[in-house]
Parts: sequence; structure tokens; C-alpha cells
Amino acid sequence: MIPRYQRILFWSLVGGIFLMGAFLIHGCRQAHKRLTALNDATPIAAPTTTSTQDVTLYLANDADGSIAPTQEELALPQDPTLRARALLEHLLAEYAGPASTHVLKSGPAVDDVFFLPLPITAPAPTNTLSATTGLPQQSKAAPAHAAKSTGEVAVVNLHGSFVENHPSGIEVENLTLLSIIGTLHANFPQLTEVRFLVDGQAHDTLSGHADLKHAYPAVDTTTTPTPPQPEAAPNPQETTQP
Amino acid sequence: MECEFRSRLVKTPFSHLRGTNSFNHALHPNQLQSNPLTPPRKQSVAAVLLTLSSLASLAQTPAQPQAPPSTPSQAAPSQAAPIAPRPTRTLILIDPAHGGPDTGAHLPNDVLEKDITLAFNSRLRALLSTNNFAVISTRTSDPSAAFTTDQRAEIANHDRPAACLILHATSSGSGIHLFTSRLTPPEHPTHILQWNTAQAAFTPASRSLANQIGLALLDAKLPVILGQATVPPLDNLTCPAIAIELAPLASTTPVTNANYQQRAAQAIVTALINWRAENAAEGAAQ
Repeated sequence: MIPRYQRILFWSLVGGIFLMGAFLIHGCRQAHKRLTALNDATPIAAPTTTSTQDVTLYLANDADGSIAPTQEELALPQDPTLRARALLEHLLAEYAGPASTHVLKSGPAVDDVFFLPLPITAPAPTNTLSATTGLPQQSKAAPAHAAKSTGEVAVVNLHGSFVENHPSGIEVENLTLLSIIGTLHANFPQLTEVRFLVDGQAHDTLSGHADLKHAYPAVDTTTTPTPPQPEAAPNPQETTQP
Repeated sequence: MECEFRSRLVKTPFSHLRGTNSFNHALHPNQLQSNPLTPPRKQSVAAVLLTLSSLASLAQTPAQPQAPPSTPSQAAPSQAAPIAPRPTRTLILIDPAHGGPDTGAHLPNDVLEKDITLAFNSRLRALLSTNNFAVISTRTSDPSAAFTTDQRAEIANHDRPAACLILHATSSGSGIHLFTSRLTPPEHPTHILQWNTAQAAFTPASRSLANQIGLALLDAKLPVILGQATVPPLDNLTCPAIAIELAPLASTTPVTNANYQQRAAQAIVTALINWRAENAAEGAAQ
């Protein structure tokens, strides 16, 4: 015969176990939601109130080294820089799909896109005196661009993980850059140049090959592969010269 | 974009690392013409250099397999026999990209791009030397600290080769990718070359050579893609320059396949032989 007080104690302990289990499960779910929210790679919330519009994406194909424009309907923000960033994120997300012809890993790719008017002028000289001569110091910095440069330059700040995970090779890196440049040119005609940064810093190459310190002209980068021509003058692959 | 000017005749301490001809640059006719010397001194220096040049050409001539003289008349001094025209020796610079801590692309089966480019460099060197080309490589091993791309360009520009081949390998795409510079030729060529656009004056010759190599690769049943890219140090070279990227062949033949590499190297050398012959014919016509 089990004493009454022991039965009460037993069932009290069983009840406590269930209560602690429920509390633990609830805590785990809350922690999971919190961590999932931190890892959400979605850069910008989809503009549900904005109507979709036609955009042109320049999609690359590794098999033949071509780049072809395609039309898609997207809902994009109205702000130009946010719009450019969302557009590039969508473009690079296309390459992470299973049917991609230019395979890139999924994940955040573009941190920011900035539009700067050209020509970029040097900062105004300060009225400080030289410590050696006692004369007003004159800035020797020349304008970064010649006076003939007009339009805007797009500075694309790539995510470091995107660069680290990008396939290495001249063709594949070149196609990625041309795809970005062509897409920006088609949707932002005012652009005349495109520059690239990685995590806010100048970077030598995309993944060991394609030069990222170079300023690329924003032009149509449609690429049609052509075989070598016998007895022909130099026949560049690209139909246009970025 | 910073505009960095560098001299085309920068003296570099890399001559001890070159491949076969460490004194070729000193005998180059362009460099002879570029020395602003007074006439008497110029004549004496030219005479000394011509003497050295003749000795150098004798020393550089590889041992060609020749049939033993069967008759006494064939073994007679050279004055009696007609001198056969010898093919012009052409200096080719090969740059096996990457090296040292810069491994390049990580290819399947833990293969590194720097090892593939080095192996392909060895095949090209052997075939080119056999066909009477003088060859310089920016590296023939895997050093602990490889040259930067700027240093490789300085080596190439210092030695003034007839053509520069930059070797790469990748696991993306298929076939062989030939890239030339994206620069456009200058409207008004000048003697002062900007470092970042030094290749501009050579882009027509580079694209012509790439087209010729592409045709030879197609003849060898190898798929080819011609393209233009901004790849260091392509834009800094003052010679017809091509970046050659090996990619897997139809997803069944990896870039490590020795037969594939040999076929590609043979086709490239065949194209260079034709290109040298055409250049020699054009020079003779002029």
C-alpha cells in the first residue's frame, strides 16, 4: 500500500515534468524563430503594393559563352538604388536555380548599389597653411574623370561570400560581370560606367581572374559566340565592346 | 582608376629565372635601335653585339637530327654546299598563371589550377622548342612566392617576345577558351604607353593570333570559344597576347587528361608555326 502523500508527490512530479517539457519546447520554438529571422537572406521585402513591370535581364550561358537578354515581370522598389539592388539580386538568384546555364551558389550577392553623377570631382581644397612653406596648401588631386565623362557611374558593392563562392575561371567570371553590366545598362540607361567593390573595399579580381579594379563601360553586353573565321580579320566575340 | 605610368624598359631582376635564353633581350634589334649613342661609339657597340649575336645564335640552335654525311662531298666545308634557309627563331613567352600561395581555381578531385597550368606549360615548352621557338616561362616550378601579375607583365615587356601566352584552367564551360584584351586600339599611337592600356596597340595582332590558334584547335577537333576579357596582366603586355583557358572536354574529359592537353598544345604550336611563317613572308615582302 503506497502512502497517500507519496502518490501526491509522484503525480506532482509527473505534472512538473510535463510542465517543464512544454516550457522547453516553447523555448526551442522561440529560439528557432529568432535564429531563422537572423538568417533570412531576403534583402528587401517584396513590394506587394507595387505593380509588376517589364525588366530586361542579361542571362549568361557557360556552354557557349553567350549572353542573351530576356524579358521578365518583376515588382521592384521605386528608389533607383534599391531598385538596382533588387534587380541584381533577382538576376543572380536566377543563376542559383537547378536549370541555370551559369551555375552560381545561392545566397546574398549584392550589399549595395550606389549611383554617382559624373564627372566625380575632387573635394574642395581646404584653406590650411603648409607646415614647411607657410603658404596655403593646394590640392594636387585631379578630378577622377575627365571633363568629357557624363552620366552616372554605378558602384556595385558585392557581398564577400558571393565572391568567395563564385566559380573560378576567366569565362565564368567574365560572364557574371557582363551579365550584371548588361542588366544595369538595359534598366538604367543613364549609366555610363560600372565599378565593383567587395565588402566596401576595392578588390583585385572576382575570383582570381576577372579584373574588378577596372571601370567597365555600361553598354549592351549581348554576346553571340562566333567560331574562328578563316582568313578573316580579328572577329571579336562580343557584338559590342564594353 | 589610377593612371600608372611605367617605363617599358624597366630593368628587372628576373633574368636568372627565365627559361632558355637569358641573353635574348640584349640582342634584340629594337633595343639596338633604341640606344641613343653617338655614331662612332654606336658602330663599335653594334659590331660587338653583332659578333655576340652570331655566337649566341650558334649557341641557341638546338641539336637538329641530321642524317650522317654519306659522301665526302656532303662533309665538305660549308662554303661548297648551299646554305639551307633556317627557320626564324621566335621568342614566345608563356605565363602559367597562379603559383605559390595563389592556387587558382580548385578543380574536381582536389586538382589545383596552378598545377594544370604548369603541366600545360611543360608540354607547350617542349613542343615549341622542338619547332625552333625560343621559349621563356614566368615559372617552371611552384615557388613559395610567385610573381604578381604586374611582375609577370614586366618580365614579358622586358624580353619583348613575339607572342605571349597566358595559361589558365577551369572546370566551368567546355573546350578551350581564347581571350584577348577588351581594349580598343588607340586612334593616335604614341611611344609612351600607359601601364593599364599597354596592350591597346597590340589588340589587332592579338585577335588575329587568337583567330589563327582557334582555327588550329578546330582542325584538331577541339571546341573553341573566342572572347575578350579584362584579365590581369593581359592589358599590361606589349606583345600580341592571348589568355588560353583549358576547360573540360564535353564533361567526360577533364583538364587533367594528358592526351587532351597534348592535342591542345600541338594545335597551338601548329598555329604559331603558321603565324611565324606568315610574319616572315610579310617581312620579306616588305
